[in-house]
Amino acid sequence: MHFQKRRAGTKQEIPTSSMPDIVFMLLLFFMVTTTLREVDVLVQFKLPEAQAIEKIENKRLISYLWVGKDKRIQINDSIVKLEEVEPIMYGKRQVLPNVIVSLRIDQGVDMGLVMDIQQALRKAYCLRVNYSATLKI
Amino acid sequence: MIKKRKLQEAAIPTSSMADIAFLLLLFFLVATVIDVDTGLGLTLPEYVPPEERVEIKVDPQRLVAVLVNEQGDVLIDGEIVSIFQIKNLIKPKLLARVDMPLNKKIIVSLKTDRKTIYNQYISALDQIKLAFFEARDEVSLGRFGKRFKDLTSEQQEQMKDAVPIIISLAEPEEIK
Repeated sequence: MHFQKRRAGTKQEIPTSSMPDIVFMLLLFFMVTTTLREVDVLVQFKLPEAQAIEKIENKRLISYLWVGKDKRIQINDSIVKLEEVEPIMYGKRQVLPNVIVSLRIDQGVDMGLVMDIQQALRKAYCLRVNYSATLKI
Repeated sequence: MIKKRKLQEAAIPTSSMADIAFLLLLFFLVATVIDVDTGLGLTLPEYVPPEERVEIKVDPQRLVAVLVNEQGDVLIDGEIVSIFQIKNLIKPKLLARVDMPLNKKIIVSLKTDRKTIYNQYISALDQIKLAFFEARDEVSLGRFGKRFKDLTSEQQEQMKDAVPIIISLAEPEEIK
């Protein structure tokens, strides 16, 4: 007797036609959520370590200020002098009244410079600062 | 005569589309940096020109003066300690004043030398903040049985009133 094999009539394939759509959706999600680094950091710095660190909730409010090993100060895309910090930051504050200044200062810089920058920030009324630090393990 | 043309099916091959999209996806995954900004937050005092400054007498019991010199030695209320002792010295003082009104809470004043290394300043500030955070945790564990970060926002506000973070940066001295 001849037995015929019983096979399911359905195709044994995973439909892949919608795969590009799914991938594009993922792609769009990543494109929207991530921000490319906007500025080139021109100074070399190593952040200090701390334990009691907090995350800054609102990224839009952050304005960065870098101070490198060689005590050069960078705001936006350029190296600035200490005297220029105040007018620049004042301008930033006018655009964004509750700006948070993230201070990315090298751990070996002495406090004299940091104090001068703080005084400039106080004069520019940028009172919310954040000393950038990495988590100490 | 009618030319018989074999019609080819006009279709764009889409099978490689997924690969292309994956490549793009990978590029974005690799190229973007999600750098979370972490650090020690602080609100600077408003700038007041020297001639307009008014001295307000603060009860010396409230004030904890932390001085860091250029060698990294710390002076708290006249005693030389190491940086890592700051937390344990401040915390009992904070806990002792949990039930007192706001104008009796501890003020920590941090002062450094111009030659102090920034790292040491951050370590000192870190210790001070840790003292505040741990005091909050202890009080909230006692009151609600939870850590500060697990409280509801209402309870957190209550805790912030009990242990407010008051850190004062001393006015830098004029360079002589």
